[in-house]
Amino acid sequence: MERRSFLKRSAAGAALFTILPRQVLGKMGGANNFVAPSDQLTRGIIGVGGIGRSDLHFASDQRCRLTAICDVDQKHLDSAFEAAKKSFNETVKTYHDFRELIHDENVDIVHIATPPHWHGIMAVEAANAGKDIFCEKPMTRTIGEGRRVQEAVKRNARIFRLDTWFRFKDTFYGLGTDVKPLKKLVESGLLGWPLKVRISGATGFTWKFFWVGKENLEVQQVPKELDYDLWLGPAPYKPYNVHRTHQTFRGYWDYDGGGLADMGQHYIDPVQYFLGKDDEFPIKVEVDAPQQHPDAVGIWRSITYTYADGCQIILEGEGFESSSKVPYIEGPKGKVYKGFECTIPNVQQLINEMPDPELRNTDYLDCVRTRRPFALNETNGHHSATIVNMGVCALRLGRTLHFNPKTQTFINDDAANLLVNQPMRGEWGKYI
Amino acid sequence: MKKILFLFLSALMFMTSLPAVAQDARQRKPETIVQDVLALMPIQKADDLNREVAPLVEAAPQTVGILVGMLKPTAMKANNKVEYALNAITNYATANTKYKEPVLQAMKAALDKAPDDATRQFLESQIRLLGPVTEVEFVTHKGTAPYVQQFDALKAFQGTDFSKPLLKALKSKDRPYRIQALEYVAPLANEALYATVAKKFKKLSPDAQTDVLYWIGDNHVNSQADLVLAEVAKAGATAPAAMEAAVKLGGEKACDALLNALGTNYADDALKALYTYKGKLNDKLPAAFAGASTEKQQQLLQLASSRGVHEVADKALELAGSSDAALSAAAIKALPGIVTSKNAAQVAALLDKVPADKVGALQTALNAAVATLDAEGKYQAIAQQMKSAKNAARFFKPLAQTATKGSVEDLKKFIEGNGSQAADALAALKSTTNFAAAPTLLNAGKAGDADALNAYVSLVKDNERGIDSRCRKLGEALQVAKTAAVKKNAISALASAPTQLAFNTVSKYLDDKDVSYEAAQAVKQIAGKCVDDLDYKFMNTSLTKAMAIYKAHGTADDGYAVDEIKNMLTAAEPSPIYQLTPEEKKEGYEILFDGTNLDKWEGNTTDYTVQNGTIYVSANYGGGGNLYTKKEYKDFIYRFEFCFVRPGVNNGVGIRTPEGVDAAYDGMCEVQILDHDDPIYAGLREYQVHGSVYGVIPAKRIKHKPHGEWSTEEIRVKGDHITVIVNGETIVDGDIRKACQGHNVAPDGGNENPYTVDHRNHPGMFNKKGHIGFLGHGAGVKFRNVRVRELK
Repeated sequence: MERRSFLKRSAAGAALFTILPRQVLGKMGGANNFVAPSDQLTRGIIGVGGIGRSDLHFASDQRCRLTAICDVDQKHLDSAFEAAKKSFNETVKTYHDFRELIHDENVDIVHIATPPHWHGIMAVEAANAGKDIFCEKPMTRTIGEGRRVQEAVKRNARIFRLDTWFRFKDTFYGLGTDVKPLKKLVESGLLGWPLKVRISGATGFTWKFFWVGKENLEVQQVPKELDYDLWLGPAPYKPYNVHRTHQTFRGYWDYDGGGLADMGQHYIDPVQYFLGKDDEFPIKVEVDAPQQHPDAVGIWRSITYTYADGCQIILEGEGFESSSKVPYIEGPKGKVYKGFECTIPNVQQLINEMPDPELRNTDYLDCVRTRRPFALNETNGHHSATIVNMGVCALRLGRTLHFNPKTQTFINDDAANLLVNQPMRGEWGKYI
Repeated sequence: MKKILFLFLSALMFMTSLPAVAQDARQRKPETIVQDVLALMPIQKADDLNREVAPLVEAAPQTVGILVGMLKPTAMKANNKVEYALNAITNYATANTKYKEPVLQAMKAALDKAPDDATRQFLESQIRLLGPVTEVEFVTHKGTAPYVQQFDALKAFQGTDFSKPLLKALKSKDRPYRIQALEYVAPLANEALYATVAKKFKKLSPDAQTDVLYWIGDNHVNSQADLVLAEVAKAGATAPAAMEAAVKLGGEKACDALLNALGTNYADDALKALYTYKGKLNDKLPAAFAGASTEKQQQLLQLASSRGVHEVADKALELAGSSDAALSAAAIKALPGIVTSKNAAQVAALLDKVPADKVGALQTALNAAVATLDAEGKYQAIAQQMKSAKNAARFFKPLAQTATKGSVEDLKKFIEGNGSQAADALAALKSTTNFAAAPTLLNAGKAGDADALNAYVSLVKDNERGIDSRCRKLGEALQVAKTAAVKKNAISALASAPTQLAFNTVSKYLDDKDVSYEAAQAVKQIAGKCVDDLDYKFMNTSLTKAMAIYKAHGTADDGYAVDEIKNMLTAAEPSPIYQLTPEEKKEGYEILFDGTNLDKWEGNTTDYTVQNGTIYVSANYGGGGNLYTKKEYKDFIYRFEFCFVRPGVNNGVGIRTPEGVDAAYDGMCEVQILDHDDPIYAGLREYQVHGSVYGVIPAKRIKHKPHGEWSTEEIRVKGDHITVIVNGETIVDGDIRKACQGHNVAPDGGNENPYTVDHRNHPGMFNKKGHIGFLGHGAGVKFRNVRVRELK
């Protein structure tokens, strides 16, 4: 246990640990640098049927080792264990109940890869257990849960990473570039202010409108390998139908919220970053959509967010793009289109001459060791998740909503505020 | 069954036992309002929804009662419209709060009538939204760990001076503890607090100092710039944090301090910081080279490149020729970020003479140097340098990058010349984005060059707009592809050309395990867009295979894909088989196309295919593009249905025509089939509109049905008389011999015939018999139910 004491709250343990300079730490993962097992971090994954089952997380890594997996579907758990065995022998522990994994003292980092309706509860529980957290997007299913995660992480001095990455790496959908040159261009002021950002099929972003739910679901027998009660957890009890669960849970408000809720943070978080709005919430959300079913998520035509300074983020639904040639970013002085076409002459050259964006920590394991915040954490992650969740509330109620950023509640709309905090089934409310 | 019946009855009783109520503005009873709204669920537009739901809400509680009474047990799968309606009522009432109470009461009263737990739960969720906002309890976990205690203590702290608790935390040896305190205090801190922390800074451990320095930087505490710069200058354990903080605070002093740190042990940190320095480096960098060590010079080059400092271009070009291998390599690597068009000749000279391993970097640099010129300017600049170069082949790649027509032609010459530089030229051509390179790349691909074939596929995908030619070209590449990578690209690209041909082509790859997933994706995508064009049986087989492939793959999207395919299969209908009506049978009609086969047809059966009960045309204009009846006909009535699926379609029916000729002239005539409503035909002559005996008898102009809808047509031919009837309306009824006053060709034997409306000769006009043909001038029309009656 001593090996991980630097991450823990024991004062005696903390005394043993000295922070290494970052340039030494930075090299620890290098091919020629052997990492003693006692310095290796450990990770446990909750939810190994979807993204949590990705090969990415099952690869052996000198800096971090998979030690535990958990799932409420025995088939998923068995299959994941078979895969894990290849890299980690039989040392990987399997759990049915996530609480046991979180409290396993051999787990440093809790990786939450369940459907979104669990993210809040599990992150809070992990933070309270003194674990660092690696949480898949979307951060939480409601605004209220996001606030609680933020509070629990800070209170327990944990390192939280939200797992979407476009604000610091990877090609940015239709833009053919990573976000860095966009951030530089926006910061330079060459496009003017305020900016309008349009996330649409025409600019390279597809909303996965096939991730919708079904109405009038037939009542089916729960498969014997699935603990449906624990799968639902805090969600309202509804008769089992396979479409509610694995893979297709995205189409139901109880667990997620279609392409908007499931993909939205991927698309919106980097926009929040390059607009410099990591500490700000929009003050208004407007929707144009067909009537929504109370259970099954449907499609929408557009969702428009407005910030206090007039900046806007406009989501355009699949098949409802305003035209095939709309700009991705539109400012009073310039526009950026799909493929980074820009109305400003020689823009690439100009961008090359601009300073890089402010330094951030983009290596999560390094952050866990140095206790510096990760580039996408419980605070800015909660902000971009809130943009998504504001949209979900407006969509479900079918009306424009005004938001008070200070209180993180909607103005003069009780029903919307009842969606900010939603009741949890049974005892689960006590966990958050 | 009994139970359901009982519930239904009780719902009825509930409805009928309602007291008489006020009627709405449209004088409807609550039952009628409910029925009207249910028929509309779900409504597409918010305004329409509000208009329809308002009377429903105004007539609450009765309407709500009726709706709740209609909820069936979940197992009956019948509640969705009622759920939409009740949810709409809730949304409306929560936005128009005066209605909240009656709606809420009606729902509460109905709770016990809910037929099962799931419907009851649905009602409860609606009731909750109508209710007051209740404080959701924040469960405070009474942690005993020092972090939680500290956090709670900080939160409970009443004063404004946080220096005491903060300094206490900073003295701790526990880093999370220190950082937690710093983060908590940050938004509440003031100058006095910064000063106090600065005063005690020296007494803190180096680790705590590091934490404080990051904190100063992250929170842009400008007043502590001197403290930060002093730590930078110290070049000790705190240097990385101090450098990050220094650059976040900014200013020239910080820049100078960081530049000074280049060439030292902390150069990496200084460099990283300088990339983000928010000020100009253009004046500072050229000067910094003076007296710098080779290591520092390398770092300066890296910095200049990242920040686009063109002022050091001459220096960089000079160092590129340095005898110090590391310095020269660093300079060459830095050139792309530094050079401008002024330096093109110098870069070209270097490219011509450097060792082979530096060629790639200099090619990039040459392209970077000309980057601000327009495409033609780029091409001219590079071509000019290439002319005088010894190693012309080194300029091929930069040339190809210009994507100009000239560059493609130059490279093609080298390839066709088949000299020693042909291979380099081909390699370069693979990187161009100019479509003119396509044929050359395809040839190389056919000869076994997989990369060339891949490049060809990309060019076709990005540039070929014609859906049918895109399909053919990709199909051709796919046929010769040997590697999985090329096959995958071609298959995925075919998915963006939703035609029957594409569907059939990719279907063949469903059994190729290297590419079966891509094939399954393509099959689903294509079928989704043109399901009506596909042969039912074939589509069914392919989609069933694709579904199995998706199932085995098993990601989130795959689950939806399986659903989607299931829906497609349910929705699609097998091809209809057309039969003669009893009257037609009596009159002696013969079916020429019944929806299943082209057995009675010959000619171009490649581009005329059977698709889901129709003859689908994908033929191009001209040549052997026509489909003919096997039999020849003299006098007859020809009946068929046609449907335009794309705008601007052009086709025709050939009458008494030999095969393989232009029926409008060498047959008796061509009866025009044309989407003449399309704007591209604005300048159409009257003898060219739909139904016209082309060039001879103009038809009455009709307005076509919308694309995708079917029209009927009948053509009667008896002797010289022709009648054309579309959708029951006669649009041509005339004698062709009279129309040209007996002169089907010019009496003077010339090409100009004054007697026909198109002033052309129609030598075949008086043919006594011949085939009937569909005359393809491009894709996008379907025919079905074709029959003929010979007139004896």
